[in-house]
Amino acid sequence: MMRIRRIKQFPDLRIYMALTLMIAAYLLLFGSLWRLQVGKVSQFEDRIQIQSLRRVRLPGIRGMIFDRNGLCLADNRPTYSIALFLENIRRSGPWVNTIDHGMEVMEQVSQVTGLTPVVDREDIRKHIHLRLPLPLVLWRDIDRRAMARFAEQAGEIPGVDLYTQATRSYPYSPYTSHLLGYVGRADPGSMNEETRYNYYLPEMGGRAGLEKLFDPFLRGEAGGKIVQIDVSGYHHGELARREPKSGGDLRLTLDMEVQLLAHQALGTNRGAVVVLDPNNGDVLAMVSGPGFDANRFVPYITSEDWKLLSENPANPLLNRAVAGSYPPGSIFKPIVSFAASIVNPEAIHTVYDSPATFRIGRRVVHTHGLGEVNMREAIKYSANVYFFKTALECGWEPITEQALAVGLGEKTGVEVDYEAAGLVPDKEWQKKTSHGGWTDGDTVNLAIGQGFLLVTPIQMAMMTATIANGGYLYRPRLVQAYRAPDDEQFTESPVRRVGKMNWSQSALTTVRGGMHDVIMEPDGTGKRAAVTGFDYAGKTGTAEYGNQGKKQTWMIAFAPFENPQYAVAFLIEDGASGGTTVGPRMKILMEGLYEKIKTEGRVHS
Amino acid sequence: MIGRIRRFDWTMFGTILVLLVLSFLFVYSAGYQSGEVSLNGKALRQVIWALIGIGCYAAAAAFDYRKLKDIHWWFFAGTAGALLIVLFFGTSIYGANRWFSIGGIMIQPSEFAKLAAVLSLAAYLSNPATDPDEFGTFAKAFLIMLVPFTLILIEPDLGTSMVLIPLTLALLFCAGTPLRPLLILIGAGFFGLIVLAVWLRFFPDTCPFLTEYQKSRVLVYLNVSQDPLGAGWNKLQSQIAVGSGGLFGKGYLKGTQNILGFLPRTVAPTDFIYSVVAEETGFAGSGLLLVLYTTVTVRCMRAAVQARDLFGRLLATGVGVLLFTHVFINIAMTVGLMPITGLPLPLMSYGGSFMVTTMGALGLVQSVYLRRRTI
Repeated sequence: MMRIRRIKQFPDLRIYMALTLMIAAYLLLFGSLWRLQVGKVSQFEDRIQIQSLRRVRLPGIRGMIFDRNGLCLADNRPTYSIALFLENIRRSGPWVNTIDHGMEVMEQVSQVTGLTPVVDREDIRKHIHLRLPLPLVLWRDIDRRAMARFAEQAGEIPGVDLYTQATRSYPYSPYTSHLLGYVGRADPGSMNEETRYNYYLPEMGGRAGLEKLFDPFLRGEAGGKIVQIDVSGYHHGELARREPKSGGDLRLTLDMEVQLLAHQALGTNRGAVVVLDPNNGDVLAMVSGPGFDANRFVPYITSEDWKLLSENPANPLLNRAVAGSYPPGSIFKPIVSFAASIVNPEAIHTVYDSPATFRIGRRVVHTHGLGEVNMREAIKYSANVYFFKTALECGWEPITEQALAVGLGEKTGVEVDYEAAGLVPDKEWQKKTSHGGWTDGDTVNLAIGQGFLLVTPIQMAMMTATIANGGYLYRPRLVQAYRAPDDEQFTESPVRRVGKMNWSQSALTTVRGGMHDVIMEPDGTGKRAAVTGFDYAGKTGTAEYGNQGKKQTWMIAFAPFENPQYAVAFLIEDGASGGTTVGPRMKILMEGLYEKIKTEGRVHS
Repeated sequence: MIGRIRRFDWTMFGTILVLLVLSFLFVYSAGYQSGEVSLNGKALRQVIWALIGIGCYAAAAAFDYRKLKDIHWWFFAGTAGALLIVLFFGTSIYGANRWFSIGGIMIQPSEFAKLAAVLSLAAYLSNPATDPDEFGTFAKAFLIMLVPFTLILIEPDLGTSMVLIPLTLALLFCAGTPLRPLLILIGAGFFGLIVLAVWLRFFPDTCPFLTEYQKSRVLVYLNVSQDPLGAGWNKLQSQIAVGSGGLFGKGYLKGTQNILGFLPRTVAPTDFIYSVVAEETGFAGSGLLLVLYTTVTVRCMRAAVQARDLFGRLLATGVGVLLFTHVFINIAMTVGLMPITGLPLPLMSYGGSFMVTTMGALGLVQSVYLRRRTI
């Protein structure tokens, strides 16, 4: 009875109390939900991004390099690689299952395409640990045949696909390799940039030549993509992408036709050829031999190849045209002539006896005897004693002065790296380097471009251009125009005329006349370079160096004689003499240039 | 018959149906992999379970609950026996013997045991021979509860067994037993919990009762250890999923936590289904789901208030409290209010046994409501 009454008494109170408690608990949940979902959203958004998003850097697209006629010298060739997409071949359980399966898939592809595997288990393991969301390249840059077989028969093999990458290529590589240089995998620009990305795909960076010098300009702007990964780290999808941008393009003053001619003329000799346009300093050709294939450096050079190149005694990596320093020998004589004419305008008419022996102090110089010659003849015959006497008459200072004024002893500033400055010795230099005081012997050496005087082929080409154009000094120009990434049109880079030599017209006529005779007269030292019907001028040079009687052999030339279009410096290391070694090679070049002028209708005579 | 239909609680049944539809949608979403359009097995099986559940619901509603007063002991004994057998012959998963495998279908007897406990406790406490004022009543009620509690505890399934404690307390409370012993018991319980927590906090290695993974879960909950790659993973990922849902969520089938597998695929459709809902529909959707559960709870208690007799009243209360306990613990662990326990979310989580018992229990509440007092 008691119990029944109590229930009647509090019929529903306890149930309501229980319900209230439960509703209060539900409200607590509501509150927590609100706090978690609306109050703190951004924090959890960040966490999601941290754990499921990966930023991948996409390398920029490198700009291209053209010759003056628009021929592409440095291109981005699409290369095809076979890549393994691990998210498609994943196996549950420990990673080793996926690695095993990856090896199986590779084995299958290998059988179909006939390519031998280059990736091993360890590579797959490393890839899984370091770069799981990215495809793993199994074979890089496969040939057409393998690609065809892959396309035909590997379609059903899951998880593998072709993967295209842009690779730098140099279609005219052996001819242009010193000039253009090459690229290699670039170092990250700055540590900051690297940390912004989870996966940093570097672009190619210039390692030598124009590629290195203009690297920031050529390098495109990197793009990026955000990929989503799943809990195991596999690629899940791509959320956003910013396409990489192209870098700027360069157009060179180089004329591939002339470049090929120069290359052909040099042949297999060790040496260099530089061809300039004397009217503006444009570099039309610049060849150094022996050369190398710059394509071997892309994307990276094998250590064997590198060893072959870097330990080769012929030093194929050296760009002799700008980085090689040589005694000029007799091709320096025009400078001595100009110096003498400045000291004494009548010097061009002076006649000296030029016997076979010449005594300076205790030293007796043996050379070829010629008898009485004037300056024009002295150039034609390369009469050493004539220039000894001329130099001793005018003194060494005007000569070094002229040498420096024409640009020797300093870099020409051509857009090539590792340019050498050469050396124009003088009294101070001799003292500083403990070579004793300046003696008449030094003056005599200087007179014939020997001694400590050192020049580079491009300096000699510039000097020749100055003689050819009547004394105007330019800075050599290799980059004719550039096109910034967003520009439609190329912007011309300026022709840099930096001065004029104070050479008299009569001195110029004499020197040019002498140089004309060198080639055109049947007893000139450069007669072997003569080309029938082509009127041009030059000078030979043979410079002894070292103690074993080795010789650097030279020729300079400008052509045509009237209204010159080409100024050439031609060097062959360890030749017999300028006339006999370089002469026939110069002839090959000039024949080509003559043909070129004729077909282009630029003949004035 | 017309009268019956008119007396039927359509609000409660409608709410349940909405929950079942949502269950299908989000079990599907939890198993969804981007690019895969076909219906996955779990969602399809969940539909079958829901249909069986609706059948059980209808049968239970039609069944006169008062007849249970005479046969509940059979049910109780049956589930206890099943619990005993499962200990020896059950299929062991992760070291726990919780399931029977019959014809490829996994049956979890502990789910049925919960309902059996409600029935037997309600029947015992509503028996006119039982005097709620006596201490013996108290003790006997706890003895009834302790049978399934112990059997489930040694499976081991701490979470499921713990559900029985608030259920028993609530039934004793609503049966009109004196408040003092109840309050003392609740106080003692909380004190025990605090002692355990402190013990764990400072001397985790010497703490009795708990297994290693239980300890680590509690330590994660207490923020002692983060261990985000181990025991803390589910808590962290669930919180990230819920938290990143925001006000309106990421959209159906677009929950990245789930799709990318950060929310473990094994638990996403079961214990962590609420995280999936919260991530994809945001506060709007997860709040609405809470409103639906509140509605079901309120309707159960309404049935209890209007019940014709004390057994019906306690039966409806028991089912309501049982449902509430599951919902509360599940969602509280999802949002990080409680340590991770393996309790499913009623009517939503993937799983047959719990779906069938929940629907059966709610059908009994309908049965109570259909036979309510008429004023």
